[in-house]
Amino acid sequence: MPPQGWNLTGGAHGGGASGGARRGPAGSGQQPLPWNTPEAANRAHPSSRMGGGRGRARSTAPAAQDPATAADLPEGAVTVSQALELASAALNGIPLLTVLGEVSGFRGPNARSGHCYFQIKDDAAAVDCIIWRGTYSKRSFDLRDGMQVLMTGEFNLYKPTGRMSFVAKSFTLAGEGLLRQQVAELAEKLRREGLMDEARKRRIPVFCTRVAVVTSLSGAVIDDVKRTLARRNPLVEILCVGAKVQGEGAPEELIRALGQAAELNPDCILLVRGGGSFEDLMTFNDESLARAVAACPVPVVTGIGHEPDTSICDMVSDRRASTPTAAAESVAPAMQELEDVLEQREQRLSHAFAAQADRAATGLLATGERLARAMDTRLAHLRLELNAAAARPCLTNPANIVERRRMELAQTEDRLSRAGGEAMARYRGVLDQLGPRLAQSTVGLSAKDHDLRLAATRLRGAGSRLLDAPAAALAQAAASLDALSPLKVLGRGYAIAYGPEGVRTSASSFSPGDRIRVRLADGQVAAQVTEVAADSPTA
Amino acid sequence: MAEEKKPVSELTYKEASTELEQIIRALESGDMELEASLESYTRGVELLKSLRERLATAEQKVSVLLADVDGTVQLVPGDPADTTDNLVL
Repeated sequence: MPPQGWNLTGGAHGGGASGGARRGPAGSGQQPLPWNTPEAANRAHPSSRMGGGRGRARSTAPAAQDPATAADLPEGAVTVSQALELASAALNGIPLLTVLGEVSGFRGPNARSGHCYFQIKDDAAAVDCIIWRGTYSKRSFDLRDGMQVLMTGEFNLYKPTGRMSFVAKSFTLAGEGLLRQQVAELAEKLRREGLMDEARKRRIPVFCTRVAVVTSLSGAVIDDVKRTLARRNPLVEILCVGAKVQGEGAPEELIRALGQAAELNPDCILLVRGGGSFEDLMTFNDESLARAVAACPVPVVTGIGHEPDTSICDMVSDRRASTPTAAAESVAPAMQELEDVLEQREQRLSHAFAAQADRAATGLLATGERLARAMDTRLAHLRLELNAAAARPCLTNPANIVERRRMELAQTEDRLSRAGGEAMARYRGVLDQLGPRLAQSTVGLSAKDHDLRLAATRLRGAGSRLLDAPAAALAQAAASLDALSPLKVLGRGYAIAYGPEGVRTSASSFSPGDRIRVRLADGQVAAQVTEVAADSPTA
Repeated sequence: MAEEKKPVSELTYKEASTELEQIIRALESGDMELEASLESYTRGVELLKSLRERLATAEQKVSVLLADVDGTVQLVPGDPADTTDNLVL
């Protein structure tokens, strides 16, 4: 089984080596010997040579192997097979070895057989190495070129090609490789615990104004951080918490420093360290430190070593920066950015305020327009009303009123005259009827007229008679009265004097110049008194 | 405004910055009385001026946490970065 595999798949080494081996006998042996055709012999009993070869080599003398050819051998010489038997026996005498070496020329398991053929080497030597499929399938890691590995196994000589190989029964990583594997296993463990989940990573404030730096206070790193932040953003307050960052006790110091830094209540903690070898950075692969980083009450930003180093602390931190400087830069915006932000805010502020004022002005304008519109509408309405009022006939043509009244009056007049005519006619009709009725009604009047005339005549006679006696008496009385009348006295020559106030009987009641009227029997005389001569009172 | 406003000089950079952003947002929302918005604007301008000044005059402040002999720790002022020597970088 395995020998063919080796031969067929040994690649460059195998091919070259087997070529050499084939040439070997031709070059070393002076004549081609029938037994010296290893391919044929090996293919005849491949398994017996591998399986039983070792035991036989230890117990059997090489010369006994192929007696048919021994006769042709010069004294003291051995065949190639015999020589290789010797060598093989010697190799088998070497106990199980554990060899430290670097993997080289590894191309993975053979596609057909699944076995691995490669070399392990150190600075000065190299040896072919075989790992059978069964062994390789139990591996805990994939081999890669450059890996330092510990191979435990023994040497084997493949006689058909004379090639010596180290057959590894088991292998483990060594040195840094081992460390890396352990780190990878720890990383996997913590990942399974969820310590690296994106969801548990805390947000680092965009602008951390108070930053604790956990690192060595003696190295250049702390100065780098300070200088980076001084240049980028001097507003950031820096709290330096020193700790050993490599070697014995470093994880413990860092854990304590993380705790102290967290108590200072910063916005975030920078856990930083400069670049170094893998072993130097192993501190940051410490499990307890990694757990302390994950459990830190303050968000932690790591900047450990240089890209592409990634420590477990980097994996569990809230933000991983590739270097201490990058970590410092990531916690605060540059001054220019702050200025830009202020610039933008200034614009937004004035914009927003202007918009606010605009809105108010627009609102006011709209209100004003509504007011004006409302007023216009009202005015228009009033104007319409006014126009309508003005358009009414009583105002446009006041004569109309009079005219209408006149017309009404005329109509009334007509009606009146019509009514009057009708009334007259009606009355005439009535009157016309009354005439005959009246005439009718006076038919008996002539008899009564006669009676009346008769009575009047009688009455006249009676009346004349009735007055005769009183007339005589009256004449008598008149004669008497005439006799007594003052006028009769006047007729006898007497006169009556009147002053302005009436009859005067005394001459002294007159004064010269007074008007005097004198009644005579047939008339009056008006005169002026020229002289008053009273009779002496002798009488 | 109901809450009592701290004088701008007493605010930290971050507080002032946060308040400025709030003012701008409130103004941008547009549902503020004109008087209130004028007041906010004035405050915003004041904050902006103060923030600008702080940017212009910012000086790095560094403290170092030191352990005493008895094990107690205390924060003491430290040296700010020496930025004059750029060759070191």
